[in-house]
Amino acid sequence: MIPLLILSPLILLAALGAVWKARPVHAALLLALTLALVAVFYLTVGAEFVGLVQFMVYVGGVAILIVFALLITRPGDEAAEVARRPRSLALGLSCVAPVLGLLLYAFSKGLPVDVAGETNPPLPVKAVGMELFGNAVPAVLAVAVLLTAVLIGAALFARDPGKKPEPPIG
Amino acid sequence: MRVPALIALVMAASASCGWAAEAPNRSLLAPEALPRLPQRLVELGLEALKAPDWLVAIGSFAAAAGTVVAVFLTAFALLSLIERKTLARIQNRIGPNRAGPFGLLQPVADGIKMLTKEDIVPTKSEWFLHLLAPVMIVIPSILALGVIPYGREWVPVDLPLGLLFFFAAGTMTELAVFIAGWASGSKFPMLGAMRAISQMVSYELPLIISATSVVMLSGTLSLSGIVEAQAGFHLGFIPAWYILTPWGFVAGVIFLIAGNAESNRCPFDLPEGESEIVAGHMTEYSGFKYALFFMGEYLGLFAISGLGITLFLGGWQPPLPGLGFVPSWIWFFGKLAAVIFFFLWVRGTFPRVRIDQLMRFAWLCLIPVSLLTLPVAAIWQYSGKGALGWLLCSAILLVPFIILTVRFNRRMATNNRRYTFAE
Repeated sequence: MIPLLILSPLILLAALGAVWKARPVHAALLLALTLALVAVFYLTVGAEFVGLVQFMVYVGGVAILIVFALLITRPGDEAAEVARRPRSLALGLSCVAPVLGLLLYAFSKGLPVDVAGETNPPLPVKAVGMELFGNAVPAVLAVAVLLTAVLIGAALFARDPGKKPEPPIG
Repeated sequence: MRVPALIALVMAASASCGWAAEAPNRSLLAPEALPRLPQRLVELGLEALKAPDWLVAIGSFAAAAGTVVAVFLTAFALLSLIERKTLARIQNRIGPNRAGPFGLLQPVADGIKMLTKEDIVPTKSEWFLHLLAPVMIVIPSILALGVIPYGREWVPVDLPLGLLFFFAAGTMTELAVFIAGWASGSKFPMLGAMRAISQMVSYELPLIISATSVVMLSGTLSLSGIVEAQAGFHLGFIPAWYILTPWGFVAGVIFLIAGNAESNRCPFDLPEGESEIVAGHMTEYSGFKYALFFMGEYLGLFAISGLGITLFLGGWQPPLPGLGFVPSWIWFFGKLAAVIFFFLWVRGTFPRVRIDQLMRFAWLCLIPVSLLTLPVAAIWQYSGKGALGWLLCSAILLVPFIILTVRFNRRMATNNRRYTFAE
């Protein structure tokens, strides 16, 4: 419980900063910080495999992808972004409020698992693997097919149809 | 003078009678446990002071971390000199020879120079991120060095998910390079960071995939478990290292190439190609921050070489039977020296590649071949690991390799160029 109490304000602050910062690079870095702090939280509660994978996939993959997209695109107008802020805030809050309400209602009805209990032993990686590639195989396969389709789609988008293939190197 | 002589005598005596291998924990001064000496001393000291258990644990880890940092910072200083000397030898020069005998004090002189230089923060930079980047470069390398098993008795932090931790810590480097490039507020760092990130992302895939095949065969993510899986000898004298299997050889070579690219070394040193973009993401750094970048790079080189040794070269296992009396960490550091020397040799020999060649090599050659090692490792596992396995695995690996080489050779053919500048 103590790691959650220490980490959750930090995660919340970093996430708010990621939404609030007008400069996209700052927002992206704060998003990376948020994801890294969530990974730290997983590590502190004994879910080491999930924590390390979260770090590798989100900080090493997703955050880098966002940052790279920022590098190769032109930055938008920051002043316009700030001017748009009240409208964005209203829109965002109207979306968040029902979700938050639903969550609070669900929590008030009782938690699905015993969050405060320290009885959960850390799950060995073998068990995680058995679960993933045993019971959850259809879901894993579906995700694999989806990601392959995404990859092929991205390659198609990236290709410039008007251009001839590159000449040989050398 | 007498105490070191006594220690040396005890070490020699214990090594010669194989006492160390049989009773590793009995003595503080057993050669096998020598790297753990600071850690053990701190533990014993704290226990003598009746410190609580958590304090002993923290002190013990701090001492282990201190040992790792001290060993590898010394090695970094030595390597910076050895690298310059080796490159000089390859290029028919003498190399540093002014500071101290054989230039031995050159690292000290470099350190003093770096520390006393003016620390420049460009006005267009963001000072906080500009400061954060060099720190973030060094941290993951030191974290990664902490999980490698250096000897039978010495794994600073023996994590059950060591391999995963190594790669997870390594991902922080990419973000740090981006921050360095962006926060400098100038064009060359930006271009360097773009090159560095695209290169790191591309070469991380073959690196991790080739490591995955080792995990498949050893059945564990713990690095000390992987080393133990490579114990023993085939036919009585061939070590059972993974590099000496068909899939392991291919995966090991891929790991070596990708590791070289991950640590941004020649021939993959485009991110800081001096003749092209000044110094890449480090252009706007000076003084100690620049030294931190350098340190991070070399510590990363140590870490990736150490991981390669652990995964493919048997870690601290001796290369021949009957050599078990030599402390295991000596084998590890001997292999580390050999691998690092190989990297220096490569740096002195190969020309820098172009960015399109770099990307093409990663995506069209390394990633397909490394993906191929996964099914081949499975075939090796279920075909008895004998002559049949050798035949099947080599055939499956060689055919695409030959096709790829022929294609690459044809595309890169350079019909007899004539160089006339030196005549």
